[in-house]
Amino acid sequence: MTPGRTVRLIWFVTWFNVRILLASEFFILTTFIAPLIFATLAFFLFRSGGGTAGQTLLYVALGAGMMGVWSTTLFGCGGAIAWQRWEGTLELLVNAPSRYDYILVGQTLGAVVFGFYGILATLAWGVLLFGMPIEATYPLILPLSLLAAIVSLGSLGMLIATTFVLYRHANALGNLLEYPIWLITGLLVPVATLPWWVHPISWLLAPTWGMEAIRGATIGAAPPTLAIAMCFVLAVVYYIAARVTLVFVLAKARRDATLSLQ
Amino acid sequence: MAASGAATPAIEAIDLVRTYQTHTGVLRRRPMTVEAVRGISFEVKPGELFGLLGPNGAGKTTTIKMLITLLLPTSGAARVMGFDVVHDTTAVRQRIGYVFGGDRGLYDRVSGIDNLRYFAELYGVEPSEQRRRIAALLELVGLTGRENEKVEGYSRGMRQRLHIARGLLHDPEVIFMDEPSIGLDPVGARELRQTVRSLVDAGKTVLLTTHYMFEADALCDRIAVINAGRIVALGSGADLKDAIAERTIVEIETFGVTDEAVERLRRDDDVSAVNMEERDQSQILLVQSERGAHITQRLLSLLGDTRVGKVVAREPTLEDAYVHLIATTGHDEARAARAASVQ
Repeated sequence: MTPGRTVRLIWFVTWFNVRILLASEFFILTTFIAPLIFATLAFFLFRSGGGTAGQTLLYVALGAGMMGVWSTTLFGCGGAIAWQRWEGTLELLVNAPSRYDYILVGQTLGAVVFGFYGILATLAWGVLLFGMPIEATYPLILPLSLLAAIVSLGSLGMLIATTFVLYRHANALGNLLEYPIWLITGLLVPVATLPWWVHPISWLLAPTWGMEAIRGATIGAAPPTLAIAMCFVLAVVYYIAARVTLVFVLAKARRDATLSLQ
Repeated sequence: MAASGAATPAIEAIDLVRTYQTHTGVLRRRPMTVEAVRGISFEVKPGELFGLLGPNGAGKTTTIKMLITLLLPTSGAARVMGFDVVHDTTAVRQRIGYVFGGDRGLYDRVSGIDNLRYFAELYGVEPSEQRRRIAALLELVGLTGRENEKVEGYSRGMRQRLHIARGLLHDPEVIFMDEPSIGLDPVGARELRQTVRSLVDAGKTVLLTTHYMFEADALCDRIAVINAGRIVALGSGADLKDAIAERTIVEIETFGVTDEAVERLRRDDDVSAVNMEERDQSQILLVQSERGAHITQRLLSLLGDTRVGKVVAREPTLEDAYVHLIATTGHDEARAARAASVQ
């Protein structure tokens, strides 16, 4: 497949996945409301804790928005595979002549599109309802930090989604992963407040660096160059890991006949 | 690697075996091996319409899934257009199309044409070709004018026709159809058969599974009858009918026939096989015999007090040949396949 056809394929799968997700009322409800609820909770918690600094408020709000984005990503990447299994289209996708990892990348990007909405909605919600100032130490780096953070969540979602191909009940595992990722990647509380033994696990998870990039851009003492770079490096590592995993997962699915199980 | 030359079969299955691991029990799980396919071998020539005919659970779908690279064979080998289905998966997938019967396998929440555009992309149809190809296939399957409607609003027949269009998007050389007419009304099923025939006329190789005898008889150049994971007969429809050509079929309509009475018929030396079809109020006994219609009186006397309605003696059909094959090979084989080994 030529690079041009590969790009076209990924773009097409992305576009199609966006359309499929938008056709689901449940997804729309979750995606459009969850970031706003999390952001609202964060604003009230921040104020009740006596916080007033505009930059810190922005950091807290964006962290809450990222929690919503992670929920959306899990649903968009992993839940989509569970849904395809139920519809009977998973076999067709896996058995198409196109490489399945490209299809999975397209599906992930389709979910990530909604991540951008989550972040923008959080910002708009904060400004309009809570008078949150868009103040950051490095305002020009903040958009790049947000992009890196969304990429970090999407790449982790894609890696987790590879296991969904194998097990028909894997989406239950996906739901279980929602809260631990919030916790250990610093979306809910800063990683520094967690026990020391959690830190190495956090560093292996791209969203930790995504949140660190947001923290650095909003209230950091130095530009979050390392954190942004780590997001993209880990995204590439996750993609390679997903490809390797898929080789084993697809071979096992052909051996165990699990693709058509509902 | 693909073999070359005119003699290369389009499809080649060599002693294919497929087992599934499963278990019984909830608290105390006992592992169990089920043999779905138990050593199937056949060849399909390029341009041939080949039928796999068998009852539910015979191993037809498992065989197809191995041939289209969805399942790995437990042992044996298979090639499609000379490419190995285990190792040359991409080459096989580029050359095959497949259509599964039933409601699943489509994106319900988008339109028919969006489904086709998506799969055209996944199947590597050139962008410049897609519009023309999709329009031609919509015309072929009779969905022109309905393509912009959401699939969730399609009837069973429309969904099935969309399945066929999807399977033909990349102009495959070999087409696998797994019970494509299941759930279709008679008119839809007839149109489907015309479509399948036109594909073969256009030079495609088609492997079709069905449990409708008339469909296999009307369409297929050759038929393999499969039962309990094995091929029990292979030949043209006429060949299969010849196997019981000497027999006469006596159809006896009964009301409340007992198992004992049916057993008395089966034990008769001149009776080759007895099958029973349940109707609303009655049971139709299909008795095969080589003694011609002369046996009718004896059959009626063997039924004793059973209330009898219409009695007809006729020539055997492919369905009778099929029933005979399944009945004579079925019970022990099926038992053996269902629980080959309980570990």
